[in-house]
Amino acid sequence: MAVNPDDTGQLVRGAAGGDEIAWRGLVDRFSGLVWAVARAHRLANADAADVYQTTWLRLAEHIRRIDHPDRVGAWLATAARRECLQSLRVAGRTLPTDDMDRLDLTPVTGNPTEDAVLAAEQEREDADRAAVVWRALDRLPARCRELLRVLMASPPPSYAEVAAALGLPLGSIGPTRARCLRQLREEVAGITGGASSSN
Amino acid sequence: MHNPDDELEEELRRLAASRDPVPAQLHQAAVDAFLWRDIDAEIAELVYDSLLDTDAASLVRGPADQRLVSFAAGGMTIDLEVTSAGPGRTVMGQITPPQRATVDIRHPQDTVTVEADDLGRFRSGPLPRGPASLRLRPPPDAAGPAVITDWIAL
Repeated sequence: MAVNPDDTGQLVRGAAGGDEIAWRGLVDRFSGLVWAVARAHRLANADAADVYQTTWLRLAEHIRRIDHPDRVGAWLATAARRECLQSLRVAGRTLPTDDMDRLDLTPVTGNPTEDAVLAAEQEREDADRAAVVWRALDRLPARCRELLRVLMASPPPSYAEVAAALGLPLGSIGPTRARCLRQLREEVAGITGGASSSN
Repeated sequence: MHNPDDELEEELRRLAASRDPVPAQLHQAAVDAFLWRDIDAEIAELVYDSLLDTDAASLVRGPADQRLVSFAAGGMTIDLEVTSAGPGRTVMGQITPPQRATVDIRHPQDTVTVEADDLGRFRSGPLPRGPASLRLRPPPDAAGPAVITDWIAL
């Protein structure tokens, strides 16, 4: 029977039986989530890399003893969060990263044919919007920034996974998300002087 | 179906994917993590980590650059003292009950092997920071499975 990549319980059971393809399916499904948890805790590159790698090594070691295979995403989020808290407590490793430093918004310049000009214009507008949203994110209170950074993972995490990633009650995720997205819109509007697009 | 919140969240997701994606070499490291499994060994679980101890008393227990970690499997305990040494780490260990063992200190780049003496004590040289796990092998004249510890970030 082929393993269904959308059925995480099946992927866990496959990997527990030694199936490398199933393991790869788990990594593809949850890689973005584990990385987002590290980033939500504002870990710099080297520390985020340690958290990410340690979390996956732990899952590989424990794969045959996962109590709820269909909830392995929450298991990973919890493990990653614990690694983040350890990392933040190690002396000398507490300098936060600023994702803003990673922005590269240099406009693309190409041949000045009309199409290229229009394309470059569009690209610049997209980049402007991206820069504004990114900056707005950075201005949010820590709790909103953390929540949104985890929600931004690809593919989208479940609320149970988000709750595990941040140590928050499951029932608070929906309302907090709505409030934080509203605050984000307000920050975006503030940066663009109220002249932003509808969303 | 035009839920503005869902649309904004999708925009954020695209933004994260382009501005802060998972580094490709890390994704590969996660795939390779599967190769580190040792299905015959017994797992010693992490049962104490001074970094996660929020009990106020622990704050006066030792110097800040010293981390105490304990693992337990069956009747065996492995206590580690991790010390920062410049950019690297050194590990001093104690196996209880005291016994000789060959200790493989595994990290994704390399494995370093040291011997635990009759009193169950062992000590590493400088190790790189990053994920590590110990594998304890009983001496040839003793029976018993190997024991591996949970992975921790040194």
